[in-house]
Amino acid sequence: MEFKDYYSALGIDRTASEEDVRKAYRKLARKYHPDVSKEADAEKRMRDINEANDVLRDKEKRAAYDALADRVARGGHPQGDFQPPPGWDTGFEFHRGPNQGPADHADFSEFFSSLFGEAERRGAAKRNYRARGEDHHAAIEISLEDALNGAEREITLRSQETDAQGRPSFKTRTLSVKIPAGMHPGQFIRLAGQGMPGHGGEPAGDLYLEVRIAPHRLYRVEERDIYMTLPVTPTEAALGAQVKVPVPTGGAVEVTVPPNARSGLKLRLKGRGLGGKQPGDLYLLLEIALPPATADTTRKAYEQLAQASASFNPRQHLGV
Amino acid sequence: MATVSVTTAISASQPLAASELAHACGADTEWVVQLVEVGIVQVTAAEAPPERWQFSSADLQSALEARRLERDFGVGLDAAALILDLQHEVRRLKAVIRAHGLR
Repeated sequence: MEFKDYYSALGIDRTASEEDVRKAYRKLARKYHPDVSKEADAEKRMRDINEANDVLRDKEKRAAYDALADRVARGGHPQGDFQPPPGWDTGFEFHRGPNQGPADHADFSEFFSSLFGEAERRGAAKRNYRARGEDHHAAIEISLEDALNGAEREITLRSQETDAQGRPSFKTRTLSVKIPAGMHPGQFIRLAGQGMPGHGGEPAGDLYLEVRIAPHRLYRVEERDIYMTLPVTPTEAALGAQVKVPVPTGGAVEVTVPPNARSGLKLRLKGRGLGGKQPGDLYLLLEIALPPATADTTRKAYEQLAQASASFNPRQHLGV
Repeated sequence: MATVSVTTAISASQPLAASELAHACGADTEWVVQLVEVGIVQVTAAEAPPERWQFSSADLQSALEARRLERDFGVGLDAAALILDLQHEVRRLKAVIRAHGLR
């Protein structure tokens, strides 16, 4: 495991005040927010700065982290071989205050969880505090086919335990997740009792998985609707045609292209989108594909078409 | 060996209660009442008691975002509502662009 330098993640030094941490975080969060950032690694950077902010904005965690960083500097851990020393956080206590928001640590690094995951739980236990465990949040990316048809997927979760020597160690557990048919992007799946353990004998929290749909070779997803570009020949577009179209649930259906169809025309297959009981639609965006005028016969056909439609001026509206 | 867990898709037939939405965000029901007041989450009958309210996946997503904006940027819920509206619009437009194969 890498020792993470949270100060450099936020571009500040050890002497930074609380206000400096806040300012640095906000500036970087604007730069790397995945909705606005042009940086290629925006999502990863955003996770890193969120994690650094979670530690450095909290006085208790920051003090413990600073003390650990000093020990690491003296001890000289080789790169990538960091293990927190036993009792590294003695004398520090971590609270999950009312303003700390969701326990979104599922996104954070192994380094973070190994330091603060268990410690937060111990802190709660020491204060004789009784409450249901916090809910955890994570995302799951599934294929469009799995979203439509439902699937069973295994996910691996890390949880942290303390071994006989008092050293934190990781336990990975595999969960089998049943993904119901008809999930749409942004929908949540709740796994009961798979969040943080409860405090003082109370039940564990839940794990919420946000569904994301992986990019697809043929289809594009917009909320509950699915889009596909459907290439047609000029003849099919002009005269109308019955064409075969693959559908994401598998197989193909016959679709009627109306006569005089233009490029960009949207054909709707109602109810063939995502969303289970209230499904979206499948839209076909017409794109006219021209047969190349290389063979003599095709050339001749185009020439005949030109003669037959000599009075048609597609640029009339341009005034030329 | 994988443990099989009870999975529920948050949907119209299995919505979240106000207390569940609050717990998922590390907050209390009073905070959810404020979200309803500023319109960050939608309920069909705001005048009904909070125990009867039902929330969707979209509400959970908005509530989580609002919680982060509050915590990390110190914004009030009114400003968070505006930021979320703008964010939804950006995401919607980006999805339209993608759906039409323009990017």
